[in-house]
Amino acid sequence: MRRRLLVTLCYLVGAALAFPALASAHATLTRTEPAFAQRLARSPTVVELRFDQSVKALPNAITVYSAAGKVVSGKARPGTDRRIVTVPVRHLERGGYTVRWRAVSADSHVISGVFTFGVRHRAPPATEAFGSSGPTTSEHVVRWLYFLALALVAGGLGFRLLVVRGPLTPKAERRFYHVVGLGAFGVIEVGILAFLLRAEDALQLPFGSFLYGDLSPLATTRFGTAFVAMTLGFALVSAFLFLAWLTDRTVLLWPAFLLALGFASGLSLSGHSAVDSGSSWLSELADWAHLAAASLWVGGLVQLAFVVWPLAPELRRGAFLRFSRLATVLIAVLLSAGIYLSVLRLPRVSDLWSAGYGQVLLVKLGLVSLALLWGAAHHFLVRPALERGARLFAGLPRSLAGESAVGMAILLAAAVLVESKPPPRPTTAPPVALNSRP
Amino acid sequence: MQPPAELVHWMFATGFLLLGLCLLAQALVGEDVWRQRPWRAYVWPGLAFLMGVLMWPVMVFYTNSTIHMVAHGSWAQVMMLAGGAELGLVRGKLKNSYWRLTMPLAFLVSGTALLIHEQNGWLFARAAFLHHLIGWLMITGAIFPLVSVFRPRSAVWRSGFALTFVVLGVLLYCDRDVAPVFGHLSSQAGTPHR
Repeated sequence: MRRRLLVTLCYLVGAALAFPALASAHATLTRTEPAFAQRLARSPTVVELRFDQSVKALPNAITVYSAAGKVVSGKARPGTDRRIVTVPVRHLERGGYTVRWRAVSADSHVISGVFTFGVRHRAPPATEAFGSSGPTTSEHVVRWLYFLALALVAGGLGFRLLVVRGPLTPKAERRFYHVVGLGAFGVIEVGILAFLLRAEDALQLPFGSFLYGDLSPLATTRFGTAFVAMTLGFALVSAFLFLAWLTDRTVLLWPAFLLALGFASGLSLSGHSAVDSGSSWLSELADWAHLAAASLWVGGLVQLAFVVWPLAPELRRGAFLRFSRLATVLIAVLLSAGIYLSVLRLPRVSDLWSAGYGQVLLVKLGLVSLALLWGAAHHFLVRPALERGARLFAGLPRSLAGESAVGMAILLAAAVLVESKPPPRPTTAPPVALNSRP
Repeated sequence: MQPPAELVHWMFATGFLLLGLCLLAQALVGEDVWRQRPWRAYVWPGLAFLMGVLMWPVMVFYTNSTIHMVAHGSWAQVMMLAGGAELGLVRGKLKNSYWRLTMPLAFLVSGTALLIHEQNGWLFARAAFLHHLIGWLMITGAIFPLVSVFRPRSAVWRSGFALTFVVLGVLLYCDRDVAPVFGHLSSQAGTPHR
């Protein structure tokens, strides 16, 4: 009976081999003129889209907007080659322009997209195309969750390798992997969500059309490149983490830790420190150091409060003392990088209370001060007592949990800060030339 | 810069074919013979996990539509999960055999993602035909790993599980955009192109 079933299954496979089907995807935009984010020396006469399959061009298939939102294009028309759609444009003045397009693919799906170009001017990033409304509260929350996840994975790994070093109890080891695994999963998932939210804002499409929206221009922005690199990086982090758990080899946590710290730089290389005026490699480095130190601090506190303290009592004292020493270094890095970046982004002290960015920074500074006081109490009161061999305070785990909660609140303020626009830097007026008659 | 989509499909087709053949060999010779070399137990779950990791570059580089990106992301995750769970069981890190339910879950998620991603009927166009076929193959094929969880020694269910992967590999090999066969099954699918 079983043999007959196996033979039947083999026949089915043979039939599948004999009658292969074929596949293709929806039409894909393969080339545009002007290209994505291209800076042109003079005004183009047409905007042209080329697809990999024939498409049906609707009259409003391509609309070109100026930075002020004025439509500067005519009616779209299909080319003799059905894969090409063009639209004439008026003579364009100097500035950035947004192209929004829609076409009906051969399989009847409506595909859409947006890209930008500039005429004698830098093209705005696709995330800042005309019509996009900028970061929303959802994006602030998502960014915060991203920071939390990053802290759990990078900070957790740092704590395990730099503070605990030796073996953990089986229960503590299991919880360590749960916490760090949750962080790695969170970084990937929340990263995808953040990218899609930004893309939805740039494309300005209803949900149904957004599903078929072309995201490739967004993937070429700094934000998109960071998303690509960080998703790949954290997929590798997850793989190393899994292998370390599977084989019980702590040494495999090192590549995961270094990759997590390294790929966290994607945020610094695509944020204010990389694109705003006055940014340089130093501001990018400071931003990364700030982020890395904050992640190690908050993630380490979580490990100390929720992994070592409840599940590895014999390691409590040593872990607390070593983490206290590490935290001193982290706080020093955090403060010096933070002060440098604040001075860079807020050239006037009055910006602290007059600009929205400054006000959020004030809230963040208040929270940081609270966390520093809390940390100082641990460092100057608890640590010496523990070094003398005194008994562990009963309220210490709650105190550690409280400090990590303040750290998480700081990350929320940081998330809002990252999505806010710093005030413009004052420009020095060029010297006025005096008219001197000969 | 990007390789054509069909090349990526063929690469994964090779992976699924190898995976299916390993599983088929295991089902035919039996668990005891297959595991006479201990490393063999790790081959197919390791391959599934690796394919999950390799799906991430596909997810981030093929951004021509949101739904493609999300679908590729879901496949990457379920392959890593199912392969990882099996590796954990083989290694002894996981004790509960219900972790094997991650495989039917992976089948269901993959099939559903394929069907949601294709909104046209079966005979609309070649793409639609293959998407429906693979989608339903994965959903109906989920029965094999599901029953195998409760009847792990049954050669029939394990063979069905293995052959699902073999058929999936074959269907992915069939993804050739330039071939004229089944080009336009419906006149509504637009003018013939390419």
